Amino acid sequence: MSAEMEFHIAARAEELGGRGLQPADALRQARLEFGGIERYKEECRESLGLRLADELRGDLTYAWRQLRRARAFSLATVCILALGIGASAALFSTVDAALLRMLPVQRPAELRRLAWTAPRSGFCQSYNGSNWTGPNGEEIGTSFSYPVYRHLRDHATSFADLISFSGSERLNLAIGGEARLASGQLVSGNYFRMLGTSALLGRLLSPEDDRPVAAGFAAVLSHGFWLRAFGGDRGVPGRTLQVNGTPVVVVGVLPRGSCGVDPSWCPDLVLPMAMQSAVETWGDVLTRPDHWYFEVMGRLRREVTDEAARVEAERLVADAVRAAAPPEPYDLPRLLLLPGGQGLEDLRNGLRRPLQILAAAVASVLLVACFNLAGLLLARVSTRQREIATRLTLGAGRARIVRQLLTESLLLSGLGGMVGIGLAWLVGDQVARLFLASEWSPGVEIALSGRVLLFATGLLVAVGVGFGLAPALKATRLDLLPALRGTRGTADRARSRSGKVLIALQVALSLALVATSALLVRTLVNLRSQALGFRPENLLVFQLDPSLNGYRGARLLDFHERVVRNLEGLAGVRAASMSRHGLLTGSRSSDRLSVPGEEGQNVDVHYVAPRFFETIGFPLLLGRDVAWSDREEAAPVVVLNAILAGRLFPGRSPIGQRVTTAGRAVEVVGVAGDTKFDSLRAAVRPTAYLPYRQEPQSSMTFVLRSELPPVALLPALRRAVAEVDPQVPLYQVRTQVQRIGEATRHERILAWLLSGFSLVALALAGIGIYGTLAYQVAHRTPEIGLRAALGARAGDVVRLVLGEALAPVGVGIVIGLAASLLAGRLLQAMLFGVTPADPVVLLLAGAFLLAGALVAAWSPARRAMRIAPMEALRQE
Amino acid sequence: MTERATILPGTLDLLILKAVSLGLEHGYGILLRIEQISGQALAIEQGALYPALYRLEHQGLLESEWGTSSNNRRAKFYKLTAAGRRQLRDEVASWERFASAVAMALRAAPGEA
Repeated sequence: MSAEMEFHIAARAEELGGRGLQPADALRQARLEFGGIERYKEECRESLGLRLADELRGDLTYAWRQLRRARAFSLATVCILALGIGASAALFSTVDAALLRMLPVQRPAELRRLAWTAPRSGFCQSYNGSNWTGPNGEEIGTSFSYPVYRHLRDHATSFADLISFSGSERLNLAIGGEARLASGQLVSGNYFRMLGTSALLGRLLSPEDDRPVAAGFAAVLSHGFWLRAFGGDRGVPGRTLQVNGTPVVVVGVLPRGSCGVDPSWCPDLVLPMAMQSAVETWGDVLTRPDHWYFEVMGRLRREVTDEAARVEAERLVADAVRAAAPPEPYDLPRLLLLPGGQGLEDLRNGLRRPLQILAAAVASVLLVACFNLAGLLLARVSTRQREIATRLTLGAGRARIVRQLLTESLLLSGLGGMVGIGLAWLVGDQVARLFLASEWSPGVEIALSGRVLLFATGLLVAVGVGFGLAPALKATRLDLLPALRGTRGTADRARSRSGKVLIALQVALSLALVATSALLVRTLVNLRSQALGFRPENLLVFQLDPSLNGYRGARLLDFHERVVRNLEGLAGVRAASMSRHGLLTGSRSSDRLSVPGEEGQNVDVHYVAPRFFETIGFPLLLGRDVAWSDREEAAPVVVLNAILAGRLFPGRSPIGQRVTTAGRAVEVVGVAGDTKFDSLRAAVRPTAYLPYRQEPQSSMTFVLRSELPPVALLPALRRAVAEVDPQVPLYQVRTQVQRIGEATRHERILAWLLSGFSLVALALAGIGIYGTLAYQVAHRTPEIGLRAALGARAGDVVRLVLGEALAPVGVGIVIGLAASLLAGRLLQAMLFGVTPADPVVLLLAGAFLLAGALVAAWSPARRAMRIAPMEALRQE
Repeated sequence: MTERATILPGTLDLLILKAVSLGLEHGYGILLRIEQISGQALAIEQGALYPALYRLEHQGLLESEWGTSSNNRRAKFYKLTAAGRRQLRDEVASWERFASAVAMALRAAPGEA
């Protein structure tokens, strides 16, 4: 543009020069004729539509200068916003991956997961898989027997295809002679075909793989496992591995992020259903109509409605159930079709509540930060009143100044947002990992996707406008004359009123956060301090599953016994024993138990070795413990806990009585104390303890009580197991105290995070109160001075200032208490031993806030008290 | 010096399009050409030419490229685009309608109305 105009002038000057003018004069003449070069340039830029961009650049430069001038303010703001936006983005990436995203398969919306419910389920003698209670109290299950699945697959016309698959299987995997533990999933041969997944390397399973071949079964590796175990070796297809001693041939590798239908875990190996009896320890169940062990998912045909498909599936299942002629009374199951596009619900069910709570907390902190920044900005624009008034007087449009002020707040939020996105990137999938204590890796990828970036960008714009707009509008609504003169007009009062509203909102949100975190902390304390019924200190636990190495029957039982005896012999071990499920792992077994001639009841059943009660530290109240001599061929015996004994035999000794469980008569030989077993939250349930040899289990949880901190025993312990069989790996090695930590993981993390958030919110609110009050005191110095001169005492002045400050705090506390009650209701399911309306929590939280407000108000109030009347009056 | 008429608002664009339609030209050249083809009768404020040029280019009626002027200086040359040529044709037509209408109106003698 300049070059072009310079050329024009030069050319004109040349021409003028040709007419006899001196070059210098010619140039001057040419410039004169051309007119105001800058003005035309500006008009040119306007012609190009560049005016907005120019003004924006000007605004940005100016905003940057303004922010640099108030460096502390800017830095604090950017930090607050970076934390707020970073936390939101990290949380959103988790929410997106875990709760919102569809499975990475073809047309996921067509997938349906099958579920069933039946009042009497005599056709299902054994069930393995997910089940939950429906809205009307009915038990809903998602596992089917394999014969039922086959009947569905072969006859259903509403579905393009139906697949079946198992839950996670623990495998003993040998790669070139080295044994390790891996996770596996059994799937029907059409699994990948229906999902529409293609292989990264080699091929995936196909229906032909349902038949065994001489070289071994086919196996597919997940991407993660391929990297971990094979270092991403592209020559892996064709290699032979041993799964529980059975040879399998790797045929292919799954692409990254493809983990099948369950986002909560990613199988290391995907194996054909035909391998079932080699993988699972309960023998061949693919032909058993009464073993309901396998999930079923179908791809709905496009033209078919859900209801039509459901009715057809229900009819087919009924056919298959009737064909099996169950020996026990039953009702035909009612079928349900659940949406399958997001995969199985387990991950979402586990994460929904904690993520909701976290999202609410993060949003509250972000709101407090916004209100706070709006307050700070409000105070800042009043110090810039003269500047703004001058610009308005000189003819700047109000919109223009609002835009300028918004540019400043957007610049702040933009800087904060960029740092925040960086933080979120650093956090990665840690938020999800905090809540997923699974031993397997999650089946979803959590990363900063385009959606997350879009969300963060939208958020930072919303935040920038949110905290910037109100102050900008307020600032430009000025009485020009007094503002120019430097005295205060009516706008000032309006500003202090909106300042108070902002304070009240901050206090309310902070109070809700403080109350919520107090509820969670109390829950945690209640969980940790309740009577467990056993002593968790100095207990070490681990699991062994020799059935993965081919141990069966008596050999399996002997293996377990030899390990316990070896452990007992270790120096430093006071007692050792084992049980099917570990304590506080969330696992339990239950069975029906009855006194002959009476209605049976569901009781928890645990299969234990001798000295179990002694080892974990709860008393045997009556009779004897189970003994090594209670072998499979000996008379069956049982030890009841006190609750069950009292219920079955009120007022008489249960020793020597007979009860029926697992279909046979058992003699009661002892009564043990009551103890929590599977969960910290559940009340002690009626429980029966059976000798482990009389109801054989494949994997056992070993437990030993040591004299010293138990971790020191680990090497000796591994040797003791290796003496029995070095090929059987130990897993889930923990101290019982760690176990309790894991059992309270969600509560602990939420309590910590929310406490942190509420402290941040509290600090912000405190800063807000301090800032607003300090500003007010400074501005009211003359008035206060006058009051002092007229005889007001220091106490009166303090009362005046504090009263002014505490009114919005009081309003905020009242609103906050109501908000706490609402928040508590959201939390209800997570609380333990405390209600949302707990008066102690609410009172303490209110008092806490009030104390915080007083601390924040103290220094401005003191300053007001010390105002010397003469000086103050001279200011006027 | 001959008496010069200041141009009517809105006609500058038309004149520029016309001048450029006579061949590739730079800004100063366009100015000279307008003066020349109007028989030196129209005076254009020199600087005002450029905002108009940029506007026409932004509207897609002109396109420009840098080249070398007759006395070997770098200059920006303008030429008409297809849209510019159409626009010129339309505007010339409407100008002629307007001018002849105004001329006819001004020729009216008393009693004709």
